[in-house]
Amino acid sequence: MPRLDPVALARLGSLPLKARVIVEGALSGLHRARLHGSSVEFAEHKEYSPGDELRHVDWRAYAKLDRYYVKQYEQESQLTVFVVLDGSGSMRFAGAGISKLEYAGLCLAALAYLVVQQQDKIGLLVFGGPGGDILVPARARTSHLTDVLGVIDGAIAGDSGDDGSPAAALDRVGELARRKRALVVLASDLFDPDDRTVAALRRLRAQRHDVAVLHILAPEERSFPYEGLTLFEALESDHRLLANPAAIRKDYLDRMDGFLRRVSDELTAAGVEYHLCPTDRAVEDTLLELLATRQRLQLSGARR
Amino acid sequence: MSFLAPLLLLGLAGLLVPIAIHLIGRRRAKVVRFAALEFLIATRRRTARRFQLRERLLLLVRVLLCVALPLAVAKPFTSCASRGPLVARGPQAAVLIVDDSFTAGYRLDGRTLLGRAVDEAARLLTQLGPEAEVAVVRASEGAVHPTELSREHLRLRDQLADLSPTARPADLDRALARAAQLLSGSNHARRTIYLLSPLTTAALRGADPPWGADGPTLEVLDIRNGAALPNLAVVGLRVEPDPGAGSRGIAAVAEIANHSLLPAAGVTVNLKVAGQIIARGQVDLAPGETKHKRFLATLPPGRRSAEVAVELPTDALPADDRRHAMAQLRDEVRVLLVDGDPHAARHDDELFYVEAALRPGDRAEAGTVVTKITPDELDDAELEQHDVVVLANVAALPADPVARLAAWVTAGGGLLVAPGDRVDPAAYERTMLPLLPQSLRDPIDTAWGAAPDERAARALHLTKWEADHPIFAPFARDAPGLSDARFTKIVLLGPTTDTDDRKVLARFTNGAAALVEARKGDGRLLLYASTLDRDWNDLPIHPGYLPLIQESVRHLARRRVEGAAAAMLVGQGTSLPTLDLRKLEVRGPEHTGAVFEGARIEGRRAVRFTGTDAPGIYRVIGTDRTGATRDRDELEFAVNLDPRGSDLSPAPANLIPGAGAGVETRSRPSERRVELWHALAAALLVLLLVESVLIQRAR
Repeated sequence: MPRLDPVALARLGSLPLKARVIVEGALSGLHRARLHGSSVEFAEHKEYSPGDELRHVDWRAYAKLDRYYVKQYEQESQLTVFVVLDGSGSMRFAGAGISKLEYAGLCLAALAYLVVQQQDKIGLLVFGGPGGDILVPARARTSHLTDVLGVIDGAIAGDSGDDGSPAAALDRVGELARRKRALVVLASDLFDPDDRTVAALRRLRAQRHDVAVLHILAPEERSFPYEGLTLFEALESDHRLLANPAAIRKDYLDRMDGFLRRVSDELTAAGVEYHLCPTDRAVEDTLLELLATRQRLQLSGARR
Repeated sequence: MSFLAPLLLLGLAGLLVPIAIHLIGRRRAKVVRFAALEFLIATRRRTARRFQLRERLLLLVRVLLCVALPLAVAKPFTSCASRGPLVARGPQAAVLIVDDSFTAGYRLDGRTLLGRAVDEAARLLTQLGPEAEVAVVRASEGAVHPTELSREHLRLRDQLADLSPTARPADLDRALARAAQLLSGSNHARRTIYLLSPLTTAALRGADPPWGADGPTLEVLDIRNGAALPNLAVVGLRVEPDPGAGSRGIAAVAEIANHSLLPAAGVTVNLKVAGQIIARGQVDLAPGETKHKRFLATLPPGRRSAEVAVELPTDALPADDRRHAMAQLRDEVRVLLVDGDPHAARHDDELFYVEAALRPGDRAEAGTVVTKITPDELDDAELEQHDVVVLANVAALPADPVARLAAWVTAGGGLLVAPGDRVDPAAYERTMLPLLPQSLRDPIDTAWGAAPDERAARALHLTKWEADHPIFAPFARDAPGLSDARFTKIVLLGPTTDTDDRKVLARFTNGAAALVEARKGDGRLLLYASTLDRDWNDLPIHPGYLPLIQESVRHLARRRVEGAAAAMLVGQGTSLPTLDLRKLEVRGPEHTGAVFEGARIEGRRAVRFTGTDAPGIYRVIGTDRTGATRDRDELEFAVNLDPRGSDLSPAPANLIPGAGAGVETRSRPSERRVELWHALAAALLVLLLVESVLIQRAR
C-alpha cells in the first residue's frame, strides 16, 4: 500500500481530517489497528472448541487433565493514554520538509484519533509553547477528541515559545495519572537544555506507566548537508554562528551520532520504548511501528 | 630595485580584490535557522580558531598573489657590484686556475680562500654554459695538470669539489704556462684564463707571460677581495746537539715571522720534544719582522733521536703555525786503539790517558765505544766495525796490514797516528807512508843536555791552531788548557809538496807542525807530532787534552750515516742509504710513505724517496737480512712547508701577468644587473600551491 508523504499530508486541511486519513485510510487496510496497554489479565479456562487460537491452549492443564482447555484473558477495563507534545522552538525546525512540530502533531493526532475510536481515554500535554504548558485531561468521549486536536493544531500554528524542558511536563503527567496505569507517549526532539528528560521518563516507568518516546528529527539534522559560508541562527535564542559547514561537518555528525546513541541506550535501559522518527518518514509507518511494539509487548505480557 | 615595465605596476590595485571578496563573502553568507545549534557551537569552539587562522592565511596568500603577479610582469631588477669577471655564455675555451696551495687554507670570515675560489669557479662554470670547453688547473707547486679541455662539466664540478689545500706553495707562473698551452690547442676564437687566487707575492715569481700578442684573455679574480691577510708563521727550525745542556742536550732555534702590518706582542712559542711540550717562550714581533727564538732542552732518557716541533697559537692559516725537525745526538764513535807500548801498570800504558779522555768516568753516555788491541791483533781486527783507529806508539807495520788500513781509510775511516819511542822514522818511511799525511823525521828532544831548571823554559808549546777547525771549536784562541802544556820531545815531519789534501792544524812554538790533517779517499788521516801519554809532553794532565782528543776522534769518525737534509721542504726528494737492508719502509704523516724492497732496493746503496707531500716527521723502518725489523732512527727526517708561502702580502701589480699587447686583464668590480622576476614567478607558483592546499583543507 502506498504511504502518505508527510508533506502531502500536511496540505490536506484540518488536523482532524489528517488524523482520520491516517487512521482510517492508511492503517485500516493493514489489520485491525488497536492500541494495547501492556496490562491484560487471566480470566478463566474454557474447553477448546474448533476456531479457538491454538496459541491460547493451556498445555499444563492438558498434561494434568488430558483435556484441552483454552486460557481466556480480560483486558483492563479502559486504557488511558497521555500524549505529550514538545512545542519548544527547536521543534519548529523544518529543513526541506515539514517541521518537526508538525510531524509530531500529526503522529499524536492520529494516535488520539485511534485511542478515541477504541473508546479509551486520551489526554494531552503541550509544553514549551509561548503560553506555557497546555493540558487537556484524559477523557474517552468523542467530543473530547476535538479538544485534543484543537490544542495540537493551535500549538503547531502558534508562535515558538521558550526552550521548555520535557521533564517538568512528564512529572506533571505522572501526577495526573496517579495510581491509574497509563500509556505515556512523548513526541520531542529531546534537545533538553537541562538534560533531565531521561530521569523523568525513568520516574514514569517506576510508577508502572508504559512510556514511549517518538524522537523527532529532521533529516538535515542528521546529515548536515549545508555548503558554503553559512550563518546559523538558533530557533530558541539569539545565538548566531558563522561557519564553513565543510570544516565542522565531521565533528558535528560525530556529536549527533553520539547523542542519538546515548539517548537510545539510556531510554532502552530505562524500559522506555524508543522510536527515532525522521520527518521525511511516513506518519503511518511511525504509528504502525508504535502499535506493533505495543502489540508485541502485550503478547509477551500475556505469556508471562 | 627598478622595473623594466613600471606601468604594469598599476595592477597592484588588484590586491583590493581578494580583500573585497573576503569582506563581501562574509556578508553574503547563507542564513540557516538551525535547531541543533548547541552541537554546532560545541564543535565550533574547537575549530573556530583554526578556521579563523586559515581564513586569514588564505586572505594573506591571495593578497600576496595579487601583489606578486603585477610585480613579476613589471620585470623588476636590481644592480649589484660584482667582483667576478663578466662571463659570456656560449662556445669558447676557458681554463680555471684555482690556487690550492697551503696558503689557500687561510680562513677569511669563516671560510677558506680555497672554498671561495671553488665557489667562484663553480659559478663561472655555470655562466660559461655547456658549450664551453673548460679545464681546471691547480696552481700548487708540482700539481698534476690536465692534458686537454673538456665539456664534461659534471666531472669538472667533481674535480672542484674534491679540491683541498695542499701542503705546497703556489706556482702561478707554471699554472699560467700550462693554461696557455691548453688554450693554444683550441680552435675557439674566445679563449680565456680565469685566475682565482689570493695573488700573494710568493705565488707570482715575475716570469714573463707565457703567451704572445694573440694570447688568451686573462681574467684575474682576487679571492681575498683586497683584504689584508695577517699571518704569524714558524718559518725555520734548526736543531743541533748542545753539550752545554747535558749529554742529551739539544738546542732548537726557531724562526718566527710576523707577516702583518700590525705588531704581534707576547706571541707564545711552544717547544715539543717527542710529542710533549717541554718549553714555552714568548716573543714580540714588529710588523714584517722575523725573530729567532732559542730553546735548550734534553731528549728523553735512552733516546738518541726525537721529533722536535715548534708551535704557535693557531691563527687563520694553521698550516704554518708548526714546524718539525729531528733532533739527532751524535752517533757513538767506535774507536780501535792500537797500543804500541802496553804496560801492566795502567798509568804507564801508552793509552791510559787516551782511554780516560774518550770515556771519562767510563760512562755509557760518553758517546764513544773503545776497543783496545795490540799491533799483533790488528790482523784479526774487523776494521769495518770501527770508525776511528788510533796507532799509539806503534812500530812500523808490515805492508799487508798497512794496505788494509789504507783501503779502510780510503773507504771512509779515520786514522790518528801518534809517535813514541817505538816509532822508527826510517821504518815508517818504508811501509807506513800510505797512512801518513807527511813523512816522519827524527824526533827532537828540547830538554836534551839542559839543566833540570832549564828544561821547562826550553819546552815547546802549542800555538797557532786553526781556531775555525772543528777540532779546535771548543777552544778560545788563547786557550790556556792547550797553550800551557809543555812538549819536551816532538817528531819532526819531512817536506812535502802535496798541499791540496794536507793541512797543518797546529804548530809548536818553534814552528814545527804539531797536528797535520790529510784527506785520503773518503777518509781522513791525522798525524800528531808527540806522544799521547806523558812520555814526551804533559798535555794529558792539562784541561785541553780531553776535548782535543774527543773532538779529534769525532772529526776523524767517518759519517756512517748521512742523515736526510735537516731542512727538507714538502715536495722535495731525499736519498736514503739502504744500509744493506732487505726492505726499507718510509712512513710519513697523513698516510704518505713508500716501501722499498725487492728490485727497488737490491744492489743499491741508496734509494730516492719523493713522496714528501705532507709536513711532519717521516719514520724509516728497516728489515735486515736476518728478517729483523726495527725503526731506523738515524734515517728519520722532517719535512716542512715552504716558508715562502707564509707571506700573504699581495703581489705588486707589475708581477701580475697580462701587461702585454692583446691581453686584457680585468679584476675591477663590475656592475651587474640581477633580474628578480624569476624569483617572483617562483613565489607565485608557491603561493598558488599554498592557496590550493588551504582551500583543500577547508573542504
